[in-house]
Amino acid sequence: MTPTNPTTNSGVPGPDSGTWVPTKPPDDQLRQSFRTYAAALSADHTPPPAAAILFRAERRRRRLAIERAERPLLIMQSLGTLCAAGTLAWLAYRFAPHTLPALNTTTLALTIACTTLILAGCWAMLHASRRTSA
Amino acid sequence: MPSSLEHAATTAASLSELAFQRLYEANATNIHSYLLAVSARRDVADDLLQETFCRLLLHPQSTSHLDSLELRRYLFRVATNLLRDRHRSGDTTPYADPPEPTTNPTPDTSLDIARMLQALKPRERELLWLAYVEGMDHAEISSATGLNRLSVRTLLFRARNKAKQFLAPVGGSR
Repeated sequence: MTPTNPTTNSGVPGPDSGTWVPTKPPDDQLRQSFRTYAAALSADHTPPPAAAILFRAERRRRRLAIERAERPLLIMQSLGTLCAAGTLAWLAYRFAPHTLPALNTTTLALTIACTTLILAGCWAMLHASRRTSA
Repeated sequence: MPSSLEHAATTAASLSELAFQRLYEANATNIHSYLLAVSARRDVADDLLQETFCRLLLHPQSTSHLDSLELRRYLFRVATNLLRDRHRSGDTTPYADPPEPTTNPTPDTSLDIARMLQALKPRERELLWLAYVEGMDHAEISSATGLNRLSVRTLLFRARNKAKQFLAPVGGSR
């Protein structure tokens, strides 16, 4: 008959009938081993000094502040590039030697909608960046 | 001579620095050991510890309402998330330089634990460390790791069994 372990399921039947040989360490032993290891680990490896972290945080804070300050400029640059591209496209269309088909109402409406969306997006980004830098 | 406003600002800054140093002294060693045990690399542990506390310093408003225990759990959560980010980014070269303690009075146990941790998955290492070293219960582990409470229970049970298998005496069933 195979013996059963009354407390845990960990173990194998021993050489004599009715005996039980535990194969896994109990919880307390595991906890103790972990804590001993942790104590030795923290004794051997000291964390970096707090001053290093304060310095790193300060450096990052400055970098983020610069990024925030530069964001409106980037947006305006992108907007300028977009406007220049639009103007060039319009000029090419207007003064092209060949005759292109005239813009129909749907295309015109789509163009206006896209431009409005782009402008609204730029305004929202500018507004957001102003709010975070405040 | 500095004006009263400047003086107040200086006092506030030095106070917050003092508070940070106190908080750091209370938690840094534990979090550092946790990061060392899970990542098994000193450079990674140092870097992630700095990043954890940096985030705390950069977003003070999100932690101002927390008490010391909640703050501790918050720090462990940030550290855990950073470990997972590192793991997801593909930097999975653990145990290149296993941090084996040298001042341990019982080197065999320590070696066993180090070897056992090597064999476990990062999540299992996290759970076991939080449960056995930090003494957290399921709810605390859940809040420190972002896992569901029931998942913590199941995963911890499996991890514990796996750990016990690894630490079983020679000749025992594996």
